[in-house]
Parts: sequence; structure tokens; C-alpha cells
Amino acid sequence: MSGGALSLLADIRQSSERRPFAVLKLAEPLLNAQSSISSNSDDVYLVYEQVFIAALDEGQIELAKALLVLLRKRFASSERVKRLYGMINECVGHPEEAQLIYSQMHEKDNTNVLAHKRLIALLKSQGQVGEAIKMLVSYLDTHTNDFEAWLELSCLYLNTHMYPQAAFCLEEVILQQPANHYFHLCYAEINYTMGNLALALKEFLRVVELSTDNVRGFYGVKLVSDRIRALRDLPKKEQPPGIAGAPQPATLDRLSQLATERLVAAYSSSND
Amino acid sequence: MSGLTESTDQTMFLDPEIRNWVLFPITIIMVLVGIFRHQLTILMTGEPPKPDIKDIRQGKALMRGQTLAQSNSYIPASAFANRKAYLCQAYENGTFLKNKSKDQSPVNLMTDPKNMEVMMDGMKKQMMGIVPQTLIMGWIQFFFSGFILIKLPFPLGMRFKQMLQSGIMTPNMDVRWVSSLSWYFINLFGLRGVFSLILGGENSADGIRDMTAMGTMGTMGQQAGQPQDFNKLFMSLKDSLSIVYHEWDLANIEQRVLVKYGKQSQIYKSAAR
Repeated sequence: MSGGALSLLADIRQSSERRPFAVLKLAEPLLNAQSSISSNSDDVYLVYEQVFIAALDEGQIELAKALLVLLRKRFASSERVKRLYGMINECVGHPEEAQLIYSQMHEKDNTNVLAHKRLIALLKSQGQVGEAIKMLVSYLDTHTNDFEAWLELSCLYLNTHMYPQAAFCLEEVILQQPANHYFHLCYAEINYTMGNLALALKEFLRVVELSTDNVRGFYGVKLVSDRIRALRDLPKKEQPPGIAGAPQPATLDRLSQLATERLVAAYSSSND
Repeated sequence: MSGLTESTDQTMFLDPEIRNWVLFPITIIMVLVGIFRHQLTILMTGEPPKPDIKDIRQGKALMRGQTLAQSNSYIPASAFANRKAYLCQAYENGTFLKNKSKDQSPVNLMTDPKNMEVMMDGMKKQMMGIVPQTLIMGWIQFFFSGFILIKLPFPLGMRFKQMLQSGIMTPNMDVRWVSSLSWYFINLFGLRGVFSLILGGENSADGIRDMTAMGTMGTMGQQAGQPQDFNKLFMSLKDSLSIVYHEWDLANIEQRVLVKYGKQSQIYKSAAR
């Protein structure tokens, strides 16, 4: 039984999902029956770290503290454990302490990714979006291939309604992960918001190509193609620049029709 | 001792004491020395060198250019043009270079302190490999020479006689009867399997690795990837970027989607948008 729970926990670690309730439930029997975890395997510390973070998410501070003591005993001078101290400080409401810890770590070793990212997360949680953006940009200056960081930056830009910058970030993400339809979807929606309708249409179509019957994608296709159609009917002078390069009206009609069809099919299928 | 003739089946009677006092001890000693070496290497290995932030930045900037060249068809032409212009300019100006001076005179390997650590580690490892081997070989030569130990199950050519029967100069004895030194070599190759069982996959008790390391000791100056000339790499990347022909993957996506959902039977080459 413990073997099964351990392997499930390992899977969750692998996919880096955040499922605090599941993790805590799985780990409960393991932690209570100390004998079942063989402390020879180094996996046990990974499990501790995982359960620690889950405990913070669920607000079980006492459990988190106990785990932290265990980890500290084994890895006395570890940067990784230090950041856990920072996290628990953030959780109980001492952000200044956490900031101190993270800044020290960052100064000591400015390649430490963990400390840098926690600092940015801290700023974001305190609502200092501008500062967070600045710091994230400096992080990305060095680590340009961290697509999750680019994604985070794009979210921050969206919070401040800086759409062109957000689109730029998403382009970086797409460069690194071209086959993921979700990123194309975000990119398409940003472009739609900005008014680049032709580009938005193409990106929505890409989403729908990559992921069959994607409802959000088809909604996008329908809305954009109808809008372009409507704008095309305006006199040439009043047409906004965003529709330059859009397909012919006939194609637009067919796309819109296709979208309607697929949406109706999706909603009337008896799945849920 | 039979056979003045060149018979292929010489039989010789070996003292069983030889088996007890030579065969087994050599093997046992080699296993023990291997384990000892392995543990000692673990103790002595220093920490891997930590990358400097400027090095990381350099490396990642290179990767960025490469990703751009590779996946350029997934972003619109304007985005690509922007990035291409920016990156080419940056590579030209050397904004990503570690030491701003474009003149990357090959960094003197000897004086670069970071490299010293790496090289010392490498040398220590090699010492750990060579010394025990030499010692054991010498010990075997000293103590266990002058008699044959085992009979090889496969025939060999005459040339090996000199090496494998080093102590015993008999013109007629079959090459299959060999001395203890060759038993040492057999163990050297054979114990790899035993060591990986005892010590786990990646162990430092591997005799063969040391032999290949001895061979490459002459080329120690060329540590792979060490002072790569990033300026040159950037320049070549800039060249390859500037000749990339951007073809947007989404140029005829309307047709592709219509075909995918069965609204159209084929993609028309004359992309009548």
C-alpha cells in the first residue's frame, strides 16, 4: 500500500501539479507510520518537501513546521531548505522576513533560480506588480529559455493592460512550445483584444486545428470572422488596420458557418 | 609434459595449490582494490563547478537564437523580423558576451582559476585509476611469474605467446596455457559486471575506463566545451539567422481547417485567401 501511495506522489511531483488535498491525504498514513517509510531511500525527503508545500496550501502550519524540522536536521545548510523557511514565513504573514531570507539567498548566489522566483512571487502576492515585472524581466534577461517565466510575465502584463508586451511574451512562449494549443489560444485572445483581427483569426484557427472541437477556439473563430465581415462592409476609409490580410468574405462565411456547426454539436452532445 | 609435436591438445597437470593461492587471491584483491578506489573517489571528488551568471546568460542567448532559427515558422512575420533584427544587432555588438571585449584571446587554461578546479579533479581521478593498476601489475609480475596458471578455452595466434606467457620461454607450449598476468587482464575486463552489481551503475572501479583515459591523457588541453569562443558562435548564428526564409506556418490555415472538418476536399495551392 505504501508503495502505491509513494508512486502516486512521485507522479504528482513529476507533473508538477498543485493538488494539496490529494497529497495530504496520500501522505497521511505514510507520515504516521514512520516505519513504513524506509529512511534509506532519499525519496523520503522529496516527499517531505512535497507534503510541506501541500500543508502550506491547506493551512496546516503545525504539520509544515514539523516537516521543516525534519528537513533541517538532514540538510542543515541547504539553500532549498532555506527557501522553505521563506515560504512558511510568507504563509503565516511575515512577508518582510521572507523577503529578507530570499534577498540574502539571491545576493549570495545570483544564479539561484529558486530565490529569484520566490522574490518575484512575493512581490506579486503583495500586489506590487510593477516591481514584480521589473524583477522578472531581469530574471528573463539571463534565463531566456524559461517559458513558464515568460508566461508569468505575460500574465503580469495583462494585469496592467499592457497588451503588446503581453503578446510579445506569448510569442516567446510559442517559439519554445509551438505545439501547445493553449498558448496559441492565449495569443489569439490577446490579439483579438488589441484589434489585430486578421492575426487573431489565424491563431484561433490554429487552436482549432491542434485541438479538435475546442470550444473556446471556435467561439474565437466565430466572433472574429463575424467582426471582420462587419468591418469589411464599412467604407474603405473607416476600416481599422487590424483586418488587413484577412481572408475573402466567402472564406469568412464558411469559417463562421463551420464554427457555428461545431459549437452546436459540442453543446448538444450528451457528455455532461 | 607431452608432445614434442605441435599437437593441439596438450594436457598439463597443474598443482591445485596454484589455484588456491594464485587464482582466487588475484581476483579477490582486484575486487577489494576496486571497491576501495570507488569509495576513495567519492570522498575526493569535489563539487562540480558552479556556472557563473554571465556564462548562463551567454549560453541561453545562444539557445534563444537557435530556437528562433528553428521554430521561426510559428510566429508571424513581423514578430520574427523584430527578433531577428534585435538578435543580429545584439550578437554584432556583443551584448551577451561574458567579457565585453570582442577579442576573445584563447583564455589561458592554466591560469583560469575555475578551470584549475576542474582540471585538478580530473587529474586526481586519473591518478586514482592508474596507480592501483600499476601497483597490482607490478605485484603480480613480482610474485606470480614464472609459471602457468590457466588454460584459455579458445585458441590464439602465436603472437600472443610473448605477452601471455611472459615468464616461461618454451617454444612449443600451446598459447592457450597462460601466465597469471593474463588472468589479471581477464579480471580487469570481467569484473566490470561484478562491480556494477556491487557498487551500482556509475562506479569508479572500472579498469577499462582508466585505460581509455590513459590514451586520451595527451589531449588534456582540449577540454570539451571549455573556452568555447562565443563570439564566433554568435557570429555564425547571426549569419544563419540572416539567411532564414520566413514562411509562416499559418499562411493557409483557413484551408487546412476547412479540410480537417470536412468542409472542403483538398487544399488549393493558389491560396486564394
